[in-house]
Amino acid sequence: MKLLCVDSEPIYREIVSMCANNHGLDVKTATTFQEAIDLFEEWEPDLVTLDILVKGGSGLSLIKELKLRTNGRFVPMIFLSSQSSDSTMEKCFNAGADDFLPKPFQEALFNTRIESHKRQVMLVQEMSQKNRELVYYKAMIEREHKMAHQVLDHVLIRCENTDHNVAVTRLSAASFNGDLALVNSRSDGARLIFVGDFTGHGLSASIGALPVAQAFFDAVDDHIEISKLASHINRMLISILPDYMFCAAYIVLIKPGGRLFFWGGGMPKAYIRRQDGTLDYLQSMHMPLGILGPSEFDSTLGEFNITAEDTLVIATDGVSELKNEAGEMLGAESLETLVSTCYANTNLTQAQEDLKSRLSEYQGHSEQIDDITFVAIRKRVSENKR
Amino acid sequence: MSIIVNYHQADNCVDIIVVGSFDFSLFNEFKDAYAGFIGQKISFSVDMSQVEYLDSAALGMLLSMKNSLGDECDIELKGANDFIKNILMISRFDKRFTIR
Repeated sequence: MKLLCVDSEPIYREIVSMCANNHGLDVKTATTFQEAIDLFEEWEPDLVTLDILVKGGSGLSLIKELKLRTNGRFVPMIFLSSQSSDSTMEKCFNAGADDFLPKPFQEALFNTRIESHKRQVMLVQEMSQKNRELVYYKAMIEREHKMAHQVLDHVLIRCENTDHNVAVTRLSAASFNGDLALVNSRSDGARLIFVGDFTGHGLSASIGALPVAQAFFDAVDDHIEISKLASHINRMLISILPDYMFCAAYIVLIKPGGRLFFWGGGMPKAYIRRQDGTLDYLQSMHMPLGILGPSEFDSTLGEFNITAEDTLVIATDGVSELKNEAGEMLGAESLETLVSTCYANTNLTQAQEDLKSRLSEYQGHSEQIDDITFVAIRKRVSENKR
Repeated sequence: MSIIVNYHQADNCVDIIVVGSFDFSLFNEFKDAYAGFIGQKISFSVDMSQVEYLDSAALGMLLSMKNSLGDECDIELKGANDFIKNILMISRFDKRFTIR
């Protein structure tokens, strides 16, 4: 650590230098105003001692000049002066002094003060170092989240977004957490749906999304059974993800006749809103994908029948765990009421918008912690005729 | 301290008590809580009676613990409130852990 001593009297320059050296400080001295400014700029000291009387100017204007030249560094400046009346000291502090020691020089006092200022400088330096690191990591994480979004947005391009019977809503939280919603129709008119929620945040959460999406589209093209698709994705995620990461998911297949098959693991209840407003529940019966080895993995499916105007609604846990301004979660029951009410609308797009605005109304100004994804698929009358 | 580890020599079991939010911020601390016991024949319990919130990262950390300690090692998850118990059951953690 470096100390600049500004004093016109040689004896003080010597004493201050000696004491500061004993505290492990490097010392340089200046005798005039200009010399002090030049040394300060070029040597960048961490501490300064100065007198009110300085050759070529006053200590009060010198301290102001030096403070202007700190470039945001924290540099304590200590007056050492024989003019120690209250009014003088006040002027010094108003000019920016951090401390004042009266002359004649008292070594014990000087030593104590120097130690305390040294400690303060070290703390501030450590803090700004930590702060720089935090700013760096924050920028890095924000960039990763952006990348993750981009990666997933790319995946979603192949999904159906023009069909009036399909509505997919994704509301991303500030900290991205890898919800994935895929919907596509097979050539035989059956519709395949994948709604998943990866553990973790940022880029790491989206790593699994790419191969899952690939497997999904392969299954659409090749009419692969969903129990096989579930086993396949499970095996794949076990091999690529670390053991603390997995993917809760529903995989649903709706046949043109209205038969619905689903595999569910680790997801909250999903709903089939019947045309009369009552709800049936899809319960996920299994552990999420990417946990159990192939021998233990259970690909048992659930089944339902859906008829015209029934709506399948799948939401990730971010929806029921959405918090209002009082910090209360929406909860499964309120979500059920919302699903039953909103999807009464015969226009699915409007129904979805309605649910979205009601959720945002509930949320108010509270921060959205988790990603929110909800997918709605409605069976139309005409589809029965295929 | 968000994680407290107690080793009961008489019963040959380790109690890991998690306090507050059980989420990704505890990743390393939670791993350290059981890392020293890997390979020993000890039963474990994770006391969640003081956990207010649990996210999917915590579920992942529990699975990782199970993997590290091996199948023959019994891990009991106890004291979870209804909300957390529901999360554990939705993900069928009863298949891997004893939930009380």
